[in-house]
Amino acid sequence: MTTEQILAFASGAGYTILLTVVSVFFGSILGLLLALFRVSKNNVLNGISWFYIWIFRGTPLFMQIMVIYYALPIATLNAFGNAWTLGPFQSATLALSLNTAAYLAETIRGAIQSIDKGQMEAATALGMSYNQAMFKIIIPQSYRRLLPPVGNEFIMLLKDSSLVSAIGMTETLRVARVMANGTGRAVYYLYAAAIYLALTTIFTLVFQKLEKKYSAYE
Amino acid sequence: MIKLENVFKNFGTLEVLKDINLEVKQGEVVCVIGPSGSGKSTMLRCLNHLERITSGRIYIDGELMDERFDGKEQLKISQERVSQLCSELGMVFQQFNLFPHMTVLENLTIAPKIVKKVSEKEAEAYALSLLDMVGLADKKDEYPSRLSGGQKQRVAIARALAMKPKMMLFDEPTSALDPELVGEVLEVMKQLARDGMTMIVVTHEMGFAREVGTRVIFMDDGRIVEEDTPEVIFSNPKHERTQSFLQKVL
Repeated sequence: MTTEQILAFASGAGYTILLTVVSVFFGSILGLLLALFRVSKNNVLNGISWFYIWIFRGTPLFMQIMVIYYALPIATLNAFGNAWTLGPFQSATLALSLNTAAYLAETIRGAIQSIDKGQMEAATALGMSYNQAMFKIIIPQSYRRLLPPVGNEFIMLLKDSSLVSAIGMTETLRVARVMANGTGRAVYYLYAAAIYLALTTIFTLVFQKLEKKYSAYE
Repeated sequence: MIKLENVFKNFGTLEVLKDINLEVKQGEVVCVIGPSGSGKSTMLRCLNHLERITSGRIYIDGELMDERFDGKEQLKISQERVSQLCSELGMVFQQFNLFPHMTVLENLTIAPKIVKKVSEKEAEAYALSLLDMVGLADKKDEYPSRLSGGQKQRVAIARALAMKPKMMLFDEPTSALDPELVGEVLEVMKQLARDGMTMIVVTHEMGFAREVGTRVIFMDDGRIVEEDTPEVIFSNPKHERTQSFLQKVL
């Protein structure tokens, strides 16, 4: 590979990482919020969360990316006479965040509900409010149970970020495709695969470390 | 201290409490005995809102904190005030319910810190004195999973005391323990009683009820069948159902 190609791959990998990190961040916040809605006794919040998950888990991620990037400007132009346009990066992170939030919400809800209900009782008997009990007692205990499925979800997200090459983001896969098409050599796809593997391995190792840390009290 | 008036509790169509009237005064140690399913635990759990009564009235410290009729709230009282009143009642559970992700010391300090806004230093100092009282000062940095059942329950008692409650509720505190560990927990409870703590104890430990109780209540089928001093209940119960229950357990 030439230096130029190496730099292109580095930049592609950088975008893959950036897409993943930003989407993990916003997806986790939204996912936690949706999970709290789901376990709350408020029917409206519960319904909102249910509907959200129904939509974003029930339609293809690829389609969601398309809708946000291509369909949103058209729809807003028709509706308000003003096209609401998002760049490729904003569209990509928005779609990935929204999508991953739906999956995380269900995972977090499951983990919260798996905590013995005696914990909530003990906390409220000590005078804690529902929110205090949730954030100090219940959610911290769910970390350990959350880590394996959340690790899974983040790895999926990292790989799924390759879908955004379709809207012109020059992330890892697009770099490989451009080089392969330009040179007629397939080996660039192998380089891309190696980059994805390296990145997912890092995720795997980090999550293994975290699991060890959070099982200290068990 | 605490008063229940005409309290009923249904779970669906099942009537668990039927017209309970009970008053507990400061310094009393009331032991509640009776067969399982008689509503003893439910009565206790209604006191601090872990279960909500279907109808009736509950007073804590002379203040009406719950009034319901046919499952409908009759009383407007802020959730905050309810929490305050509930935190005057310390609760000890059969299954301990210690917080497994916190050390023993953190278990004791978390509620005073976040509910009562006590400073870290003050909360820790008081927690250590309580751990000393239950004989577990050396375990302060252990996680609950490293403790025996008896030790866990003593920590749970200390945790409830850390909120400086005016009254302690015990829900079968020794029922989940190996027989040889029961004594150490009862010893702590006796100490509390001697120090003048007001207590309601749901228990199967008849020896404890006889020795420490100032009053014994026998419940059966959701009702208070008989209440009297331990001497009368254990040696000369008036009610036939009390007699047959005690014959089986003594």
